[in-house]
Amino acid sequence: MNRLLTAFLPALAAAMFAGLPATAAEQVTVERESRVHAEPRHDAPQVAVAKPGTVAEVLGKSGVWLNVKAPDATGWVFSFNVRFTPKASAAAGEPAAGGGGSALGRLFGPRRSVSVTSTIGIRGLEEEDLKQARFDGEQMRQLAEYAASKEAAEERARSSGLAPVKVDYLDAKSQ
Amino acid sequence: MMNRAKLWLAALAAGAAFGVASAASIDLGRIFDIGKDVATAATGVTEQEEIGIGREVAGRLLGAAPLVADPELQAYVNRVGRWVALQTERPDLPWHFGVIDSPAVNAFAAPGGYVLVTRGLYEMLDNEAQLAGVLGHEIGHIVRRHHITVMQKSAVVSAGARLAQRDNRSAFLNNLIGTGAEVFARGLDKSSEYEADQIGIVLAARAGYAAFGLIEVLHKLAARGASDESLALLFKTHPSPGERLTQVGDAVAPRVAELPSGKEPGIRQVSGEVPPPAAAKPLPAKGARALREEEAGAVPTVRPGQKGGIGIDPGGVLRGIFGR
Repeated sequence: MNRLLTAFLPALAAAMFAGLPATAAEQVTVERESRVHAEPRHDAPQVAVAKPGTVAEVLGKSGVWLNVKAPDATGWVFSFNVRFTPKASAAAGEPAAGGGGSALGRLFGPRRSVSVTSTIGIRGLEEEDLKQARFDGEQMRQLAEYAASKEAAEERARSSGLAPVKVDYLDAKSQ
Repeated sequence: MMNRAKLWLAALAAGAAFGVASAASIDLGRIFDIGKDVATAATGVTEQEEIGIGREVAGRLLGAAPLVADPELQAYVNRVGRWVALQTERPDLPWHFGVIDSPAVNAFAAPGGYVLVTRGLYEMLDNEAQLAGVLGHEIGHIVRRHHITVMQKSAVVSAGARLAQRDNRSAFLNNLIGTGAEVFARGLDKSSEYEADQIGIVLAARAGYAAFGLIEVLHKLAARGASDESLALLFKTHPSPGERLTQVGDAVAPRVAELPSGKEPGIRQVSGEVPPPAAAKPLPAKGARALREEEAGAVPTVRPGQKGGIGIDPGGVLRGIFGR
């Protein structure tokens, strides 16, 4: 029995580790000194302070808060204060954060596969292209055809369960 | 206004006649009626003229990168965009939205209600709340007339010429567009970008979406970094995504608890029948420079249906979240 286990366990471990890279957690680096909160709120109890440069593993998100596991603490940080670490696979041609397989993509929502195989090395619409561009009347006619009326936009929003909410502009220039 | 302009011309002439250095005292604020409040910053240009300027530069951008050939996608983006625009103080502008066929990651706004997002950016988005945030940023530039204001500021250099053109609106507007392009190429006005980021968050929230879709997109851009060729124009013309996150974070922090959680509906995908962007070119082994050298020697190709226009820089006139 014991011999069987000792033979089996390494194989099991190998199988588990083989599956890890695909699901490896996204990492963030703390950009500005940040309070780590017990809950995703500024007024929630503080469990630690994360210093700039601290690397943390992302466990989940809630609105604009990220649940992170840092070496010294686990809790919620204000996402503006951290930056996502580009995936190492970017160098191999995999889109860093925008790609379908990235943990950042998974974190921020369900992701489809994309036709773009590599974002590194793709170019288009640079300053020079724009300088040489000429007015395209046929394209403008098409653009006008696609325009949505106020009523069509409202109807579509209703059918998607979207209801308007009163929110003031952040800079108080609300009108 | 016209009478006032004529008075100024008369004053200039009189000044010249008496050897007074009147040109130095031209009051641009009065010429454009600038300075009363934000809304009148565009008074030198009527709303109809604003729309005309936008139509011209949007048409030129479409000359560089046409609409993605997916009518259902375009109709979808117009419904989402119009819904977000309805949450502003300019709901009745002739709003037009489009996804353009370029692998570059960028989005553009032109005066009067034109918003164009590249396919490269669109395909990065995970949900409709992120789309609403991106469109909301562009809509913010239009609602606050950022482009017109910058054009007018840049007009200082050719004040005399503009004054003489007051009787010829067409020449006046063309001059305004041209001059504005020069200013945008210098990459001024970070504050307009930060303001548009804040507006993008608020408009998405007003439209019932999760408020921070735009922030998620900025995080994605920050993670991709400046070495990504598809982001070249974006990084050239805008504050870095990291700087934007810091700025908008400071503005949002005191209000974050008040913002509703909102919805994150799925986003419509580009039809599988549409081939990848025509402009997508993998770099040769020697890198981007080699590609540019290669192309410099090639005969320029003209897309079917492309028509002539005035040779100004639409990229300079257009304002974007990620490009201008």
